[in-house]
Amino acid sequence: MDAPHYVAARVQRALAEDERTVELGIRVDVRGNQIFLRGRVSAPERRLLIEDVAREAAPGLSVHNEITLVEVREPGEEEHL
Amino acid sequence: MTQTRIAAVADIHMGEDLRGHFRPKLHGIEHRAEVLLVGGDLTRHGTIAEARVVADELRDLPIPVIAVLGNHDYHSDAEQAITSIMRDAGVTVLDDEATILSLNGTTLGVVGGKGFGGGFAGKCASEFGEPETKAFVRHTRQIADRWRQALHGLDSDHRVVLSHYSPVKDTLMGEPTEIYPFLGSYLLAEAADEEGADLIVHGHAHLGTEKGLTPGGIQVRNVAVPVIGTAYMVYSLNAA
Ligand SMILES: [Fe+2]
Ligand SMILES: [Fe+2]
Repeated sequence: MDAPHYVAARVQRALAEDERTVELGIRVDVRGNQIFLRGRVSAPERRLLIEDVAREAAPGLSVHNEITLVEVREPGEEEHL
Repeated sequence: MTQTRIAAVADIHMGEDLRGHFRPKLHGIEHRAEVLLVGGDLTRHGTIAEARVVADELRDLPIPVIAVLGNHDYHSDAEQAITSIMRDAGVTVLDDEATILSLNGTTLGVVGGKGFGGGFAGKCASEFGEPETKAFVRHTRQIADRWRQALHGLDSDHRVVLSHYSPVKDTLMGEPTEIYPFLGSYLLAEAADEEGADLIVHGHAHLGTEKGLTPGGIQVRNVAVPVIGTAYMVYSLNAA
């Protein structure tokens, strides 16, 4: 099995370069045979797509999708500078 | 006292699946702000189709919209076409240049561009060694030089810098430190500190934090959507 370091790098690269995701804002951590995905995205489909691409890049490992959805709220109070 | 209220957002990363999702959030923006700044990464892949979605979301807003592109908007080598599509929708796209708006009696100057990386003082790349390294750092330096010139010639009551990449480390907090050199450069802050500005707005660092300060004391705000969690933030500048 590849060292966790290289697996994480491969998944990170797949997320950035795969046309389906082109995602640079996800943290990938590998512990043993588990992959943890962390970050925030704007649509639920995207969250799943990232998981798919990660799974393909690291077959056989179990993927923990801890990516959360940015729920774009109404703007709040202004800040005086 | 008249205030200039600046709405700002970055990294909206639109695609066909998000068509119609952003515009409703801008409803009533004219009651909250005088101008909307959009700090790059308008699209995901930098395609013309995605740019059309962005253009439709931002078209004919009741307040002026000023934007810069981000690295994602360069991904398909269609940045010129994307710029044209945005301009056709009435958005002012800044590419290392300045624009001045007159907003209820005060003038707001905005200098903007994509910016670039290189890292932060003491822990950054320099123009030394292989041509590839030199080209990387030179790109940022040339951008900073153009911003300095644009700021130098800008005669307005307020001055704001609009970037995609970050000028400071403060707003990167939450990102792995190993990638800081790809998230911004101190050269961008240095240009603004030399010429003076009231605010620098940027995006790009999705895992970063909102607030920072340049060494010269200019307020910096990271308005990437995943950071702010709202459609935009509003910063108000007091009458000069
Ligand atoms: Fe982005
Ligand atoms: Fe970006």
